[in-house]
Amino acid sequence: MSADDAVAPGRPVSTVEDDDRQVLARIANGELNALEALYDRYRTMAYSIALRVTGDASLAEDVLQEAFLGAWRHAGRYAEGRGSVKTWLLAIVHHRAVDAVRRRRPTNALPETEDVTPAALTAPDVWGEVSADLDASTVRAALDVLPEAQREAIELAYFGGLTQQEIATRTGAPLGTVKGRMRLALLAMRRHLLDQGAGP
Amino acid sequence: MSDRTRLTHEEALELAAPFVLNALEPDEEEAVREHLRACSLPHEELAELGSVIPALAETLEPVEPPAALKGRILAAAADDLAVRTVVPATAAASAAAPPAPEPIQIDSRRRPSPVSWFLVAAAGIAIVALVAVNLLTLGRLNSSEQYERDVAAVLEAGAQPGALTAVLAPAEPGGPRGLAAVSSNGDVTMAMQDLAPTTGNEVYEGWAIVGDAAPVPLGGFTVGEGGTGRLDGTGVPAEPGMTVALTREPGSGATTPTLPILAAGTAGAPAGATGLVAALASPDKTR
Repeated sequence: MSADDAVAPGRPVSTVEDDDRQVLARIANGELNALEALYDRYRTMAYSIALRVTGDASLAEDVLQEAFLGAWRHAGRYAEGRGSVKTWLLAIVHHRAVDAVRRRRPTNALPETEDVTPAALTAPDVWGEVSADLDASTVRAALDVLPEAQREAIELAYFGGLTQQEIATRTGAPLGTVKGRMRLALLAMRRHLLDQGAGP
Repeated sequence: MSDRTRLTHEEALELAAPFVLNALEPDEEEAVREHLRACSLPHEELAELGSVIPALAETLEPVEPPAALKGRILAAAADDLAVRTVVPATAAASAAAPPAPEPIQIDSRRRPSPVSWFLVAAAGIAIVALVAVNLLTLGRLNSSEQYERDVAAVLEAGAQPGALTAVLAPAEPGGPRGLAAVSSNGDVTMAMQDLAPTTGNEVYEGWAIVGDAAPVPLGGFTVGEGGTGRLDGTGVPAEPGMTVALTREPGSGATTPTLPILAAGTAGAPAGATGLVAALASPDKTR
């Protein structure tokens, strides 16, 4: 199974999330078959993130191994009702990938933690709300319609693993401007996705 | 940490966007986390910004990971589970095992810990692509791959209807560890690592112990320098709570286990593993 299967049209997102939570509960109980199920469900998206951020197939494999072992060891920390399992898992993958990239640069590594995105764990994610009605191309469109400077800030941060300070240095923009671009871009994407998912 | 440790509510909100994008320096990120832990005020915008992050992943073209990665991750997880279960499983095995006619000593040669072993294997994979490897490294890599394939076979067998799985924990730290699946008709698949090589007629023998019944031999296997071994045998039909154990015998065909038991675990469906992990929740028994 792939991530696409997990959010396939016609399959209610709530059912997917229920399945995911059951799988995670089984992982917390030490069931290897459950870890295998989680891997099968999200391996493609997880690897795509890791490969894009690291730009290195070998490093991306290491990231995935660390991330899924992190999920295996800390599944009990996942708090039901504070976000989807998918969001939790992919946040771990992204955090590990960014950490791996920064370890190759003369900067400090990120803190070791599986509680990677408290914000995302306190509200339903937009994709979870609308994914049954949207395809990936629509989501890509939400990124494409952003002003160039905002899209660049998002891409350098999320896909490039750069810090806000590094982005400011690279783009020549003041740090406050970079922060503002990130914020406006995320808010614009959220509005766009909710509008698309809510229908005409 | 710097004086950023104590952020005001407004300062934390200013860092919300880079925070959810993992674009903060480590000390800044920790400062935001500390604020979120301590601040009771709402952080709605931070939650809203974070909610978009999963959608960003959807913009990526899907790329499949190498097929072998799954086996490597599952083998590492199985190894992790075996490490967690070392003490209780040993106690359970000792309680279940019958008196031994004559003990034999476990080979004192110990292989590296599972953690370091897998790190070496992972590092080796990267190095292979860059530089020539020596025969020792290559040998470890081959045995690692073999163990991963064996674990995958156990997991496949354990996924069949009516089958049970047991994590075999070492009787002593650094001893043999692995995984076994017992089917409803008594077929057994076992994957083990950290085994000392057998010599002469020696074999490693698997055993099934159900309640107070006498141990039932499952079959034997020999081990080379690679330190891994796989058993494909037959014993008794899967029964929750049965013990699966491993001994080292002077020859094949043993009908009574020669103590000490080297590794053992309790077979179970999900609940079996649950019990093992729950019993091992004490921090000093986990990695």
